[in-house]
Amino acid sequence: MFKAIIYKEWIKIRLVVYASLVLGLLALINIFLNVRHDILFVDAANYWYAFLFRGVIYFGILKFLPFIMGGGIAIAQYFPETVSKRIKLTFHLPYRENTLLIRMHAFGAGMLAAIYAVIILLFIGGSAIFFPSGIIIDSLLTLAPWFLGGLATYFLVALILMEPMWLYRAFYAIVSAGFVTLFYKIDSIGGYKHLLAFLALLTLLLSCVVLFSGYRFRKGEM
Amino acid sequence: MIKFSRYTLVFIGIIVASISIPSLYWTIFEKVPKSVQVYYSCTIDDFVLVDGQNRVDTKGNSYTNDEYERLLPFLFFRQLIADGEMPDSIKGVLVEPSAIGRASSFFRYIPRKIHAPQPALYPMLESQSGKVNLTMPDDYFRINKRIEFIDSKTNKINEEKSSLFTAAMADKGFVFPAAIIAGIPSNRKSCDEGYFITDDQGSLFQVKMVKGQPFVVKVDMPEKLDIVYIEAVDVRSKEFYCYVFTRNQGVYLLMEDVYELQRLPVDGFDPETMTFRMNSDLFNKCITVGGDNWYKAIAIDDMYDVVATTEDKWEGLYERTDGKVFAALFPFEIRTNIDDSAFVNFYFKLSPGFWWVIVNVISVFAFIFVLRKRGWEIKSNIIDVIVVALTGIFGLIAVLFFPNKFAKR
Repeated sequence: MFKAIIYKEWIKIRLVVYASLVLGLLALINIFLNVRHDILFVDAANYWYAFLFRGVIYFGILKFLPFIMGGGIAIAQYFPETVSKRIKLTFHLPYRENTLLIRMHAFGAGMLAAIYAVIILLFIGGSAIFFPSGIIIDSLLTLAPWFLGGLATYFLVALILMEPMWLYRAFYAIVSAGFVTLFYKIDSIGGYKHLLAFLALLTLLLSCVVLFSGYRFRKGEM
Repeated sequence: MIKFSRYTLVFIGIIVASISIPSLYWTIFEKVPKSVQVYYSCTIDDFVLVDGQNRVDTKGNSYTNDEYERLLPFLFFRQLIADGEMPDSIKGVLVEPSAIGRASSFFRYIPRKIHAPQPALYPMLESQSGKVNLTMPDDYFRINKRIEFIDSKTNKINEEKSSLFTAAMADKGFVFPAAIIAGIPSNRKSCDEGYFITDDQGSLFQVKMVKGQPFVVKVDMPEKLDIVYIEAVDVRSKEFYCYVFTRNQGVYLLMEDVYELQRLPVDGFDPETMTFRMNSDLFNKCITVGGDNWYKAIAIDDMYDVVATTEDKWEGLYERTDGKVFAALFPFEIRTNIDDSAFVNFYFKLSPGFWWVIVNVISVFAFIFVLRKRGWEIKSNIIDVIVVALTGIFGLIAVLFFPNKFAKR
């Protein structure tokens, strides 16, 4: 039966997943066509210099993509469930309600993580053509908070959508907006180096918060 | 699991509240802190303290703008020449614009400089190409187990050059990898002096490229110095190569050609928290070290002997009204950006004093009032009560935004 549930989740989010992959690929193609073009015109030495000493990042276009993807998948997955409270049907299945919700949630988060992994791996591969390891590592340190922020967005949008009361939806949205902003504070290269581990831990903790509003939903909080 | 997810949310709520509410408070109420610029005047042999439009000396005499410019003939020599006020000689020394320009330099250190991301690679310029202009190279170097030059055209390591430089550095006793790499990675400078690099054991070296060959000097230290920051400069007087900051062992200049470390008279300088400025002119150097609410200025002559000092202290942040009110309202704050670091982080700052305890107690009573009104038991919400007691307004907002419905039944 879990297979069927996963299939149901896949039907809900597949369009967004495809769209995210296409969007990600287009962004990467754009990035590396630009890098190639600029290196031809200004020389690799000057292009490296701009990154190393002027803080010019060649992958700025990636900044809000993870955020959009995280929010998009969460909406595609949870919004239909809240329309006329369809998720109640799922909760009537002969399984523990929490287990079901966790599986659903893990599938969505797993798909999102897989999209991110594809984008990041292709980004590393493309960067390796033009740049040495030092620049690639610093680039990854710079975009890591953006991708973590995307995951946090997924978890928090799910929390907001599953919440049955509008007042508390607003409260969650205020806290979520404040929290997600923390991942996008500055663009300086390596500027998040010391906070990354803690942000990753907080994001990991957030992975289960949908259970909280899910519980309130089940208990018929109105 | 559900309870745990609620406490995660409460925790996130507290973090967000303790960042955004204090930030809002400071945006609205923060007053402009006092900041004083200090110069040393060779005409009155005294400091000139500039605070906004206020210009005074240490004896309390205040000066108009025109008088102030005449006090600092080296700083305002262009204006004074235009006005016909520039003296031909000062203290018996003939002063010419070219000499003034050569002797003038300005340098500023702030703690943010040691807490900032470092570039992954550096360009090594050719320092004696025989050409008038310096040119940027096509390769960049990094120093790990050895020094490696990477050609930007091919993105490959230049093995020959890397081995040559590694051998030359090892020969002078360099222990890989490098700790600090400091240079001027630009061709917009008067000449190239390469890089000042500390090795794994804290020894200081200069490494530059002369006609394609490595040139390495090991700098003798008077004692073992714990160097935390080096800034290479291009002073026109050609007096020194760089400023060297150590952890509580003083600030030094690395003198040009002789490679001697000249200690500056700023004992007790802490590079983690203090700022440092040095203004040089034909006769004196004026050094100002300072913190949030104090400074100490030291004027030295060209032999680095102290000729005068002055200092001042004023109200700190939490002694001012805006700071006092803050410390009474909030038990702590988290800042994501601080002046002393270029890194984003959660900088936790506990409020001084204990006035905030009152607001925390009020928050607890407010929370208990809400519980009573909802008909929930205090006993089953005891963790929430403790959270509010510890974190005050922030915790109150967090526990009310994410209500504890499990404890209701």
